[in-house]
This record gives sequence, structure tokens and C-alpha cells, in this order.
Amino acid sequence: MSAHDLAIDVLLGLGAGIELLCCAGVLLARDTLDRLHYSAAAATLGPVLIAAAILIDESLSSSGITTLVVVAFLIALGPGLTIATARATHPRHEDRVLRLGEPEEEPG
Amino acid sequence: MNAYLLAGTVLLAALFPLGLFAALAPPLDGLVAVQLGATVCTLVFLLLAEGFGRSVYFGVPLVLSVGSFVGSLACARFFDRLE
Repeated sequence: MSAHDLAIDVLLGLGAGIELLCCAGVLLARDTLDRLHYSAAAATLGPVLIAAAILIDESLSSSGITTLVVVAFLIALGPGLTIATARATHPRHEDRVLRLGEPEEEPG
Repeated sequence: MNAYLLAGTVLLAALFPLGLFAALAPPLDGLVAVQLGATVCTLVFLLLAEGFGRSVYFGVPLVLSVGSFVGSLACARFFDRLE
């Protein structure tokens, strides 16, 4: 096995392993916000490793550039989606106010 | 079977528990599972395209990465305004 193949196998193994860990995290986490941490992590580190493996093979061919664009979309759009879901999770409809860096006000 | 097809198949298997969880969990928890499933699905298509060695298949994850974002964002906004 050459260094080229070994690097691809290691990157693919790490990428797929991280995605599997994130899946387990989403299934086992306590609440929605905890699950969002795992979902957001799955959209960053795993895709980068998998894209690196593909780029080793393809370099900057059309497939390699498309891979880069797909991973750029995942990384750029993921945080917005995470924030939108976290906003939907917050129970502000129960007159609770969310301020960053401060403890939440208790209702009533 | 090369390493790409193997990794894609393993990730494809991870979609089944996520789908089951999304069907049975409360709506917002299910939405998070669907978002993760979309990410995993995008990577599966990327891996399968490389594994089969067909550059034309790379269009599928490209469209899915944008389309799943729009759909998940619409769902999140819907749940945000539901109550």
C-alpha cells in the first residue's frame, strides 16, 4: 500500500468515523440544543476530511472543484441552519427572554 | 469495492437510525436528525460519485447541499412561528 492510498484510507476512516460519532450523539443527547452541537459538528469536520481524501485523488479536476464547492456550501450554510433551529427551540413564547452571556430570566 | 464505496455504504447505514429517530421523536428533535441526515446523505453521494469514478454524479451532492439547506431552513422557520 502506497502513502497515497494510506492517506486516503486514513482520511476516509476519520471522516466517516466522525460522522458516525455525530449520528450517535444526535441519537443519545439529552435535549434539542445538545443534539444541535452534534449536527453542527457533522457539517464541518467530517466533510473537510472526506473532501481532502477526494482531492488527493482528483486534485483540481472538475470533480475535485465540485467537491470543494459542496463542502464550502456545507460549512458556510450549516451555522445559519443551526442558529435558525436553535431559535425555534427557545421557549420565548412562554415570556422567557434570551440574552447572550447572561442567565435566562425565570418565567413569572 | 474501494475505500470510497465502503465509506459511503457505512454512512448510508447510519441514515436508518436517523430516519427512525426523526419519525418517532418530537418535531424539533426530528428536524435536527433530518438536518444531520441531509449532511450525511450529501457525503454519501459525494463518496459514491468518487467510488464509481463518474464525474457527472458529482452534481447530485452539489444540488442536495443547497436544496437540503433551503428545506431545513423553511422547516425551522415554520416551527419558530408555529406557536
